[in-house]
Amino acid sequence: MNDEQFRAEVRGWLTTALASPEFACLVGKGGTGRAHEFVAERMAWERRLGADGWIGLGWPEADGGRGLPWHRQVIFYEEYARANAPGRVGHIGEQLVAPTLLMFGTPEQKARFLPGIAAGTELWCQGYSEPGAGSDLAGLRTRASLRDGEWHIDGQKIWTSLAHVADWCFLLARTEAGSDRHRGLSCLLVPVRQPGIEIRPITQITGTAEFNEVFFDDARTLEGNVAGAPGDGWRVALGMLGVERGVSNLGQLIGFQREFDAVLAAARGNGSAGDPDIAARIADAWIALQVMRFTAEEALGGADQEGGVAAGGVAAGGVAANITKLLWTTWHQRLGELAVDVGGPDATLAGPDYGLTDTQRLFLFARAETIFGGSNEIQRNIVAERGLGLPRG
Amino acid sequence: MDSSEQAALREAVRDFCGKHAGPQAWDRLAGELGLTGLAVPECYGGSGAGLAEVAVAVEETGRVLLPVPYLSTALAGAVLSEDGAGRTGGAAPGAEFLPGIASGALRAAFALGSAVTASGGRLTGVAPHVLDGAEAGLFVVRAGDALFAVRAADTVVTPCGTLDQSRSQAAVSFQGAPAVAAGCAAERAEDLLRVMLAVESAGAAAHCLDVTVGYLKTRVQFGRPIGAFQALRHRCADLAVEVASARATAYAAVRAAASPVSPASSAELAVLGPLAKRHCVDVFWHVAAEMIQLHGGIGFTWEHQAHRYLKRAKTSQLLHGTPAELRRLVSQRAGLS
Repeated sequence: MNDEQFRAEVRGWLTTALASPEFACLVGKGGTGRAHEFVAERMAWERRLGADGWIGLGWPEADGGRGLPWHRQVIFYEEYARANAPGRVGHIGEQLVAPTLLMFGTPEQKARFLPGIAAGTELWCQGYSEPGAGSDLAGLRTRASLRDGEWHIDGQKIWTSLAHVADWCFLLARTEAGSDRHRGLSCLLVPVRQPGIEIRPITQITGTAEFNEVFFDDARTLEGNVAGAPGDGWRVALGMLGVERGVSNLGQLIGFQREFDAVLAAARGNGSAGDPDIAARIADAWIALQVMRFTAEEALGGADQEGGVAAGGVAAGGVAANITKLLWTTWHQRLGELAVDVGGPDATLAGPDYGLTDTQRLFLFARAETIFGGSNEIQRNIVAERGLGLPRG
Repeated sequence: MDSSEQAALREAVRDFCGKHAGPQAWDRLAGELGLTGLAVPECYGGSGAGLAEVAVAVEETGRVLLPVPYLSTALAGAVLSEDGAGRTGGAAPGAEFLPGIASGALRAAFALGSAVTASGGRLTGVAPHVLDGAEAGLFVVRAGDALFAVRAADTVVTPCGTLDQSRSQAAVSFQGAPAVAAGCAAERAEDLLRVMLAVESAGAAAHCLDVTVGYLKTRVQFGRPIGAFQALRHRCADLAVEVASARATAYAAVRAAASPVSPASSAELAVLGPLAKRHCVDVFWHVAAEMIQLHGGIGFTWEHQAHRYLKRAKTSQLLHGTPAELRRLVSQRAGLS
């Protein structure tokens, strides 16, 4: 099968699946700033994706994946975005946990956890950030100790996406008493639905909730549920942060193009496109979107072959994903600002129960994007240190 | 992504530029390395490679601001080799000039202003701001939508003093000068020129960042290398993002420029030419300006290289489409306005 046949297969499957009575309601749902929508239906959608073999495209075939090269994965994400398919609830398991288990997991762990992720039946969340450990992750204080064949966990995590629907949590905790910083941490695999875990949603600036606080009060998991060696959690945790190379970002760009098109249509519709300042910002947004696409393509290509042209040595430092994140988050934030400015005075009104338009959601939610997943300040530190070799402060 | 041949070419040109500076590099660059004939067919003395290879050499010579008319001469070789359909296989309309370009004996410059008119195979009018014009023996000239080749001996060339002393400019006066019609359309030629200016700017910007980062690692203040201060590290990281985006964009435009000419590739070049030039030169300008600031006082001196890059960046920004003009052009051609 060549790439175009593969693309046709993906497109055909998506078209059929999204036309079915069960999933037709999901088109365009659960995206930016709307992760709270249609959660049960999106969980069912995840299971359908899994049943038909669309989860784990890049994993080795021996581990239940399809062993596809990155550009085939990109094709999937592009078609997924083009079809306006719903925001995923299984991506943390598929794109973060599974690759980490493939790198660090035991055969038993892979056999236990990968099938549930691939089937879309077991969802994951990621327990890294804490109230006192945001950018400074090594300052985390959630602790776990081993007693009678079980880890006993106490502490608190925050900004945990999807904790309220997840079955499992990939948890970074301090397992050696008296340790500090990067030593004595372990990555635990913890079942979420148990008496020792309490989840509270965090209402954010959109008035909706996509993140949670998670409280651990003598929560338990089996002794064997640790990824990598106990005490080696920092290396495993960083390995997880390194697996995101931005494959999904190229698909995301198609969603961005759709959002841009909506802003352009709105500007033409209300005449603001005739304003020279708005017209210039529209042109700049479009140009920057193309630049971002070229950069992401080059960064991804360069990640496969060392020393890609685009980054001129910067990609060789493994910072392509950091560069991509800095670009897309700031672009998306500016697009949100342009969108409400195009809207004009009407963009200052909200519906009943703080009902917001897509434009307003984009405008507000994009403020999160330069903070989550490693704030842009942290991304700049990484580019400076690993990409440019500048000394640490 | 460079092919292995392009990677070898890049290494050879970079090596050459590290050993040869100044206008006297021209003879060996054209002769020994054969760079001016990269896009000239073999039957006219070139190597029959193409615009993608010219781009590699333009980027590398641009990194060091090599003061020779390489970009314009090599691009003239490409443009004058094309027939009306963009093919280079048959008899080239500019055949009489190509051996000279390939050997380096003939240096070329582009006069793409709109004030020259053609009548009966002769050109009349004045073209200001012709980059590399002072030392050119051949001009590639726009008259209306068409493109012509004119020998400098048939024109009046007035060299100008320039802000950027590494690249000349001239005002060229045509007074019924005999002209050879080129196959390539004027608009395509100008877009190709924009692509090459984009590539050159991306290379120069990368060089400015390299030099600046190197300085921040060694300059000590307050008892530590100043590159350890986050205020400076973050600015360098932002510049690195810009440089990566500029190179990616420049080479996307090069791919469009080097594709076989078709309605689709022409439409793509028409957008990516101005788009890449605008983005890459703006990045170059920003990196060059930051280079001076991040070097402190030394960056303000005549002796330091930073000012040459600042002046090149501003010159490239103001010729062949200002940022505002190019934004309008992209907007029109991409159907945004």
